[in-house]
Amino acid sequence: MKSKLYTLYLATGLLLASSLVSAHHGTSGYDMEKVTTLNGTVTSFNWSNPHCLVRIDVKDSKGDVKDWVVELAAPTLMTRNGWTKDSLKPGDEVVAETHPAKNGATTGLSGASTSILKFVVNGHALPFR
Amino acid sequence: MPNCKLRLNIILPVIAIFSSILQAQTVAPAASAKKQDAPKVTHVPDLSGSWAVVGGTPSWDPSDPRGLKPDELPMTAWALEKFKAARPPFGANATFEAVNDPVQKYCDPPGITRLYGYPWQFALLQSPGVVYMLYEFTGLWRPIWLDREHPKSPDSTWMGDSIGRYEGDTLVIDTIGLNDKTWIDQVGHPHSDALHLIERIRRVDQDTLEVIVTFDDPKAYTKPFTGKRMFKRSSSPMEVTLCSLSEMQSFDDEVMKTTTVTPKK
Repeated sequence: MKSKLYTLYLATGLLLASSLVSAHHGTSGYDMEKVTTLNGTVTSFNWSNPHCLVRIDVKDSKGDVKDWVVELAAPTLMTRNGWTKDSLKPGDEVVAETHPAKNGATTGLSGASTSILKFVVNGHALPFR
Repeated sequence: MPNCKLRLNIILPVIAIFSSILQAQTVAPAASAKKQDAPKVTHVPDLSGSWAVVGGTPSWDPSDPRGLKPDELPMTAWALEKFKAARPPFGANATFEAVNDPVQKYCDPPGITRLYGYPWQFALLQSPGVVYMLYEFTGLWRPIWLDREHPKSPDSTWMGDSIGRYEGDTLVIDTIGLNDKTWIDQVGHPHSDALHLIERIRRVDQDTLEVIVTFDDPKAYTKPFTGKRMFKRSSSPMEVTLCSLSEMQSFDDEVMKTTTVTPKK
């Protein structure tokens, strides 16, 4: 399993923040100026309200496996962006961008109604905008 | 993996029925309960369709649409106290901690004006005596009666009592009878049961809907104020996104609390 984690600080963070404001709970818990790239294996994909959730096993720089929880938009909104309940499944190898939690927890925000960060699944990119 | 994307199996046939009604939109509204001298409507603008918000700014304050200076709305002392207690998802006081947003915490109905701020669509169905607004978010709907006045002493309810009339190309909706349990926006501004709303809805062009809302609530605000939202016509079919308290609490445990507390090393 490829297992690297990259973080990119965005000069245009405010722009991205404004494009993800549609999450029902807002974005105050996430660092919207930062994009972390997770490289790991999907362990579950919960296609459910209020937000679809992806759990990904990601190895950190020490080789320890961390359980990441990545939040997307609600199913109706993800559907309008071209995703389905079958877009991800356990065992898929993913490279996923996410705005990480400010508190250092392994949670992130990757999608809202008008914006989805990049998800590459087994070498194929899912719809993003 | 539950799929909570539910199609409007019940509503869609209703839409089909009302679609036929829309073909005859040049008739006057029924005047049974109207005053004798009420102006006869000879033109009904076509506002039908599904509409999705553009931008979706969290506040109705026209000078502060992002809610970064939310205390600049002219709140009364009563309203200011309620506002200071609010822990909203957006604006200057946005937080993940100890959230008391009635929608997030209880799945309460969001209220008429807050519904305009969510990314889910609403649909307008026009008939001669009544206009229906159907909301994807939480499956709410409300009637706007064209053929009667408000009751003299309406109950206080989540959606209030709405009556409407056409003024040229604009549907003007007058609403009273709202309870005070909802916020007017996503940044925690309260309102009282004295809130009187005027919504002015018109089609700017084939694909664009303008909604202008005037808030008149002397218990909560020292003077009325007016905000605007724009909507684009959507080709996506109407769906329902319900608010399930068990799903909301599960999400709160799995994501919100984790993203709030300091994680263990």
